[in-house]
Amino acid sequence: MVHKIYLIAKREFITRVKKKSFLVMTLLSPILILLFYGLIFYFSFNKDLTDEVKTIIISDHAGILNEKLEPTKTIQFEFNNGLEESQATIEIDEREAYAILFIKKSEKGITYDLIGKEQASIGVVSTLEDKIEQALKDQQLQQNGINQELLAQINKTRIDVQTRKITHEGIEEGNSGLTTAIGYIGAILIYLFVFLYGVQVMRGVIEEKTNRIVEVIISSVKPFELMMGKISGIALVGLTQFLIWVGLVAVLSGPVSALVLDLMQVNPTEISQQMQEAAKTPAAQQSMKAAKQSGPEIFKGLENLNLPLILGMFIFYFISGYLFYGALFAAIGSAVDNETDTQQFMLPVTMPLIFSFVLAQTIVTNDPNSSLSIWLSMIPFSSPIIMMVRLPFGIPTSQILASMAFMILGFIFTVWLAARIYRIGILTYGKKPSYKELAKWLLRKN
Amino acid sequence: MILSISNLSKKYQNHVALNNITIDIPQGIIFGLLGPNGAGKTSLIRILTQITEADSGKILLNGIPLEPKHIRAMGYLPEERGLYKKMQVADQLLYLAELKGLSKQEAKSRLKYWVDKFEIKSWLNKKVEELSKGMQQKIQFIGTVLHEPEIIILDEPFSGFDPINAQLLIDEILLLKEKGTTIIFSTHRMDSVELLCDQIALINLAEKILDGNVPDLKKQFKKNQFELSYIGQINLENLPLEMVSVVQKNNLNTALIKAKEPMSNKQIIQLLLNTDINLISFAEKLPSMEEIFIEAVQQKNN
Repeated sequence: MVHKIYLIAKREFITRVKKKSFLVMTLLSPILILLFYGLIFYFSFNKDLTDEVKTIIISDHAGILNEKLEPTKTIQFEFNNGLEESQATIEIDEREAYAILFIKKSEKGITYDLIGKEQASIGVVSTLEDKIEQALKDQQLQQNGINQELLAQINKTRIDVQTRKITHEGIEEGNSGLTTAIGYIGAILIYLFVFLYGVQVMRGVIEEKTNRIVEVIISSVKPFELMMGKISGIALVGLTQFLIWVGLVAVLSGPVSALVLDLMQVNPTEISQQMQEAAKTPAAQQSMKAAKQSGPEIFKGLENLNLPLILGMFIFYFISGYLFYGALFAAIGSAVDNETDTQQFMLPVTMPLIFSFVLAQTIVTNDPNSSLSIWLSMIPFSSPIIMMVRLPFGIPTSQILASMAFMILGFIFTVWLAARIYRIGILTYGKKPSYKELAKWLLRKN
Repeated sequence: MILSISNLSKKYQNHVALNNITIDIPQGIIFGLLGPNGAGKTSLIRILTQITEADSGKILLNGIPLEPKHIRAMGYLPEERGLYKKMQVADQLLYLAELKGLSKQEAKSRLKYWVDKFEIKSWLNKKVEELSKGMQQKIQFIGTVLHEPEIIILDEPFSGFDPINAQLLIDEILLLKEKGTTIIFSTHRMDSVELLCDQIALINLAEKILDGNVPDLKKQFKKNQFELSYIGQINLENLPLEMVSVVQKNNLNTALIKAKEPMSNKQIIQLLLNTDINLISFAEKLPSMEEIFIEAVQQKNN
């Protein structure tokens, strides 16, 4: 049986690796990914260079700003306190302004109205709010006897919280930024791998079915052997591709990032400032934190991260997660005659995958030890992704073992389930089966 | 018996595919599995090739119950043909043979024989999708026989073959038979294999309604009818013969007559020679497989 699975896996591997598209995709993908990220960084950091500077006219009827507001890189302010709202259109056109801010006193307090020809963007509004708030705070501080120099000093205050963790060996130095980043990379790789190659398995099964070769093959091998051979052959293709990518990225990322930085002509402190502004999600904040820790500091705590464990677990979840979902994809492929019919069955398979990927970025990163996080890392549908994110934070061995046990049971179950559907599905043509029929296939004798 | 099938039954959810089928197939013959579409032929074949399992019944191959190692003894050409389109011809054939359990070396040396025979050397490195339909069929046939199976099962072998390739296929089948291979044909076109088959089994609605060797069956179902052509007027009044039909064309009569009681051909010819006619040709009219099938079904229903 093993020999036949090996033969089938070998064919899958060789025919796929020999394809031109494999070579092209393998070589092109890292370049595209680097280019893609390069462009994102380039545009987000050079926004100031590309965007024109906007002018906002401030008509300060209330007189609270003293005709003074510091400009930002994208917005400059002009004061014209005599303006009325009826003059707004003409004034905007004449001075090519973006909008006019009317500050008025009323019985309710001070009102701020931004009038423009287009709906002002959230970015502009929040910058404006920040600037005015800051100016008003500074005013109040000065009124209370704090001078300019002292204020500048106060504003320079920065702190950096170092995280440490109590373990059996004592208190270890941690590094939540790096920890999150490592967990993340693992989760993303597993997610991509399961998705990309799971779909390949499904396509391969459909192809064999529409080619009608399947009947010849299963007169020589058992459907189970064909299915497992296909799944493992494609897994090897994926692993090969990933290894090549890892190598290529390692070789290329150095020169490319240098090139990007050079193109941007910005210094690193500016980058971190801008990144802070951009940070909104907790995940992004965490990676910001990692980025902020400059130089050797970023590697601090690395020796306390159990890297062999993380790597071992990564390989385990990488393979078992793929087997778990790959088998389901194979079952879908066998049940239909063509790819358009797969939609209905794809949803229940892809939903948990996407769901756990999204949760991994939000809830789990924020609180890796909440009961939801723990449960998600036990259920085989989500555990490969969730566990990778949780693992670097350090979790009890009992949980790891339980999760692994569930994962093994999980993929044995899906492989069994898929094999039951597959053996009937590959010989069934015509009408797309319903879920009820699939359930019947499960119970049917061979 | 190379293959003996006894009391085989297979039920799907909504219908019975095979009902208590018993067939014996001797070694080295061409065996025809005949019956209309949906009779259960493919279900039977899938059980023989171990693609599916029977609900009950027994299959013995050379006296041993059918088991997984026997897949090497079988070559199967399904009704719906198919190959990996993107795979090269040689790789594909070697792969199919290896799946049957041949080593790569064995597969290669056997492939060489067929390559020379069909003169397809220049095609070996082409992808299947680059070949013409006829070529693909040849490749598929090689794939079926490359591992030199004891039993070759061909499901509707002539569907889709052009006349030249069909003849080629027939020649190869006869050659394989000479070497001692047992060939099982399955077809709903009963006329097409009548001449090739040594023995047949007729299947209808999941049941075997008739089996035996072809000449015996024809004898069993013959209606004592004779076809003759002659010149002149025939008078059968005082003879134990009756006219079924007669057609006259250019003075030549072609008639179908029936003997009222079983008689040998010799007796009938003697009777005919004693009449005034000028007998040109005489032949016993044997029923076609199709006629036998219809009659057997009717008998069964009564």
